[in-house]
Amino acid sequence: MSKDENWIVEIVLENKPAARDPVGTVIQKDLLAKKGYEMVSNVRSGQYLRIYLTANDANDARIIIDKMCNELRIFNPVTQNLTILNVFKT
Amino acid sequence: MPKVKSNGTELKVDLTDKEITQIKELLNREPSITEWGMFDVMHSEHCSYKSSRPKLKFFENAEKNYDRVLAGPGQDAGVIDIGDGYCLAFRIESHNHPSAIEPYHGAATGIGGIIRDILCMGVRPIALLDPLRFGTLKNNPHSQWLLKYVVKGIADYGNCTGIPTIGGEVEFDESFESNCLVNVACIGLGTIEDFNHAPSRAYHPGDYVILMGGSTGRDGIHGVTFASRTLTEMSEADRPAVQIGDPFTKKMIIEATIEAIKTGHVRGLKDLGGGGISCALSELTGEGGTGALIDMANIFTREPGMTSFEIMLSESQERMAFIVKPEGLEDILAIFKKFEMSHAVIGRTDDSGVLKVRDGENLVVNLPSTALSDAPTIQREEKSPDYLDALHKQKTPEPTKELKEIMHALISSENICSKEWIYRQYDHEVGVRSVVKCGEGDSGVLRIIGTDKFIAASVGTNSKHCFLDPYEGAKGGLVETCGNVIANGARPLAMVNCCNFGNPEKPESYWYFSKALDGINDFCRTLKIPIVGGNVSFYNEDEVKNTSIKPTPVIMIVGIIEGAENIITLPFKKPGNDILLIGETKGELGGSEYHSVIYGTEGGVPPKINESIIKATWEFLLELYSKNLVEANHDVNKGGFIITIAEMCFKNKLGANLDLTDSNVNDLRDDIFLFSESAGRFVIESATKEHDIIMEIAQQHGVLVRKLGNIIPEPKIIVRGLKENDIFLDVIKLKELHASTLPDLMEI
Amino acid sequence: MTIKIAVIQFPGSNCDFDAVHVLNNVMNVDAELIWHNNFKEAHFDGCIIPGGFSFGDYLRAGIIAAHSPAIDEARVMLKDGRPIIGICNGFQILTEARFLPGALLRNESLKFICKWVNIKVENNKTAFTNRIEKDSVLSIPIAHAEGRYFTDNLNELEDNDQIVVKYTNKRGEISEESNPNGSLENIAGVCNLEKNCIGLMPHPERASESILSPKGTTHGKLFFESMIEFIKKRGF
Repeated sequence: MSKDENWIVEIVLENKPAARDPVGTVIQKDLLAKKGYEMVSNVRSGQYLRIYLTANDANDARIIIDKMCNELRIFNPVTQNLTILNVFKT
Repeated sequence: MPKVKSNGTELKVDLTDKEITQIKELLNREPSITEWGMFDVMHSEHCSYKSSRPKLKFFENAEKNYDRVLAGPGQDAGVIDIGDGYCLAFRIESHNHPSAIEPYHGAATGIGGIIRDILCMGVRPIALLDPLRFGTLKNNPHSQWLLKYVVKGIADYGNCTGIPTIGGEVEFDESFESNCLVNVACIGLGTIEDFNHAPSRAYHPGDYVILMGGSTGRDGIHGVTFASRTLTEMSEADRPAVQIGDPFTKKMIIEATIEAIKTGHVRGLKDLGGGGISCALSELTGEGGTGALIDMANIFTREPGMTSFEIMLSESQERMAFIVKPEGLEDILAIFKKFEMSHAVIGRTDDSGVLKVRDGENLVVNLPSTALSDAPTIQREEKSPDYLDALHKQKTPEPTKELKEIMHALISSENICSKEWIYRQYDHEVGVRSVVKCGEGDSGVLRIIGTDKFIAASVGTNSKHCFLDPYEGAKGGLVETCGNVIANGARPLAMVNCCNFGNPEKPESYWYFSKALDGINDFCRTLKIPIVGGNVSFYNEDEVKNTSIKPTPVIMIVGIIEGAENIITLPFKKPGNDILLIGETKGELGGSEYHSVIYGTEGGVPPKINESIIKATWEFLLELYSKNLVEANHDVNKGGFIITIAEMCFKNKLGANLDLTDSNVNDLRDDIFLFSESAGRFVIESATKEHDIIMEIAQQHGVLVRKLGNIIPEPKIIVRGLKENDIFLDVIKLKELHASTLPDLMEI
Repeated sequence: MTIKIAVIQFPGSNCDFDAVHVLNNVMNVDAELIWHNNFKEAHFDGCIIPGGFSFGDYLRAGIIAAHSPAIDEARVMLKDGRPIIGICNGFQILTEARFLPGALLRNESLKFICKWVNIKVENNKTAFTNRIEKDSVLSIPIAHAEGRYFTDNLNELEDNDQIVVKYTNKRGEISEESNPNGSLENIAGVCNLEKNCIGLMPHPERASESILSPKGTTHGKLFFESMIEFIKKRGF
């Protein structure tokens, strides 16, 4: 049943909105604001992962990644959100 | 859970019906929802010690009975005078539940909290120590995950703030599998003048109240209530967001606070921890006999639209409250500006005796300052567990393995093996004070720059011993931690403790707590060790197996060494020197590593403590030090004295030629003699020519000393004079086994 | 006249007090701790960028401090030939500010490492090594998570004699076992072309007093002695 197509899934892990993000805050406050980029009001940092996998289709790829990240605690649901940015074929 | 109502808003609280009635009677009205929240937090187990206070009141009044104690229990940290105008502040605290859920941030914010406690005594934090408990690591990815990220959390936070982690202790036992223990300890150093500048009290009306540090957000609201219940009682969704530590901001808070205190304008200082602003303000004014009017509009928040309830109860990290003299306000604000720390004047103290918080036109809080600190106590039932009798009757089985094989198994066991994998990740040298570093002694030794004084600190206890006998086990923890600082040449000065137990509503759990505290109390009174602080963490339960953790009354001891020449280290130094065993070896193997590693049992009778022998042993060692008779010292701990000797051989790759013919004074079986964990023993190295004088001093003190043999240049341990066959051990092999266990388990 | 050394304090520096202590109490020169925004180069004969976690090491170790006004001041000293040393995080700042070539990446083990190591002096013609014999092996501690030296231009570094110290075993042999963090060619410290600015991952300020050293050595002092010698020769 598997077509085994090659897919790339890009995901971002970041702290939940209610949780502080000291990294983003320092970049915004101590670098950008001081170097003339006052128009930048907020920066949130995260971790970006590009995952290469085989899947039947885009939806299948999403499901695999979602399950994998939850099962293996790739992110900690207590503090972080996981966003799937992009799913595309190679 | 009971619910309370105010103006149509409903709130679930942990208060009892009796407490709810009492609060209404006290105020003679229905509290606002914010006030209900404040009472709920302040009356929680974590803040009010409602279950533990009935036992804690039996401790000696350290401030009254010991001249050197400047601050005792009830303050943010214990403070002792170490002479030359300097004082030390220290405290230990638990951060178990947050770490069990999110080990990295849980451990990191634990470090953050303990640093604030020390800082708010007006002194600079100079050292961290971390006693930890996890499930056994072998074949257990969950325990490995917890260890890895707890250590990383401690390392990332401690290293960044520039406070060296100079020691710690870790045990692995199945009972901690889902509820790991992360205890964090911190030591601060300052002048007595600095300490006097910063009481955690607001004594003067008319002073400014300044909030400095991180902004107030929705994170960690009701974290305290969370610590006061078991993990099972809360579903995932109920759990408050674990807080994110920010060591960089903390470092800035430390520098800004120290600079502010040096001005002399600060008259009160309090960190915001559990219970947030409400807890801090009620302690400052309640204990200081003042009141305050706070304008909530001035509290800087991270998110718009936060309610007064959320602002007053937020437990966002990295915040401090300052009480500042009116004439010093400008200077203090300038310091906070220099460090670019967010800050705001949020109100002023007054003589009303009432804490008022204004939200626009409304007074959302209007409470007598002392109302929140007068939480009731609860007398819990206690009952010894039924299973103990059977456990105590377990005997040591006849060994089926060669003693050499047993040695190899013990030296590589999780609880005895080298913890280098952990301490290499901690910056243990920043601050240029670390004289005896991790792995070189039983405790961490720091110099006090500008004096010829050194302090030694150690943390620990033996959870397996406490499980079998909490009274003797807790005393054993004191013997062990005091022994650690004494082994490095120090005289113990004072102790703080962190009591980790199960659900106090279970009579068996409370019995463990009660007996452990009796042990601590009796020991400290007899040995004249002031108890200058403590922390109690209840509700440590395994949610899967529905069992409590092994009782873990962690002890922290700080000792002092006068003069660099009196510092003693662990490694054997010179071939030819004598190896002496101090103290009596009895058949005490209950809860030993020998039982658990070799036979998989944890029963038997654990070591008993005889205070007068312990005291004599300490005085004996201190006299030897004063006469420069000791070249190396290591206290005997898990696995018995043969493990101690092996560990002393490692660093300089030396060996030991032992003849035990006359040492087995109680005529024990070979395995029992070698692996007994009888408390209060030490192995020392001394010059052969000093043998007679050492024996003479021992006799004067009534201490049992036996020469076991001599150090040899070849890295091997030869044990003769046993009842059965001699043993020949390869030190290099033992060292490899000792060193490789943790890396092999963790680096996969 | 006394020699005046600036120790620059960035938000998050944490070896700043240690450096001041060693310079004032061990080396007996006049060292001053200066908040990064207040640093004025004209008052000083040399400068130390201490270790720590400037700006929390957020974004990338050293990058935010590299944009501080203090670095603009230090650049004047650099051009002028006065001695500048970056230690640990200071080294990271100086590479980000392009005072020094290369970059410092996360340790190969991905973990923070705190331990005493041996380094061998490859170049004793710099402002901070002129009092040390070439090829001497020094005992000194490291404490970092991002100390893996990398450059895409190793040949140039070698041709210009910019490698100052390398991690070795106690006999001075360069090997994989003696490389604590996976640094390219075991590089532990480099200098600029003019040799007045160096960066070191190891901490000389932690190795300048025998009581702090496992073997009783004071090899860290040699770097500061060299600095003082260099300043004296230049005239101050």
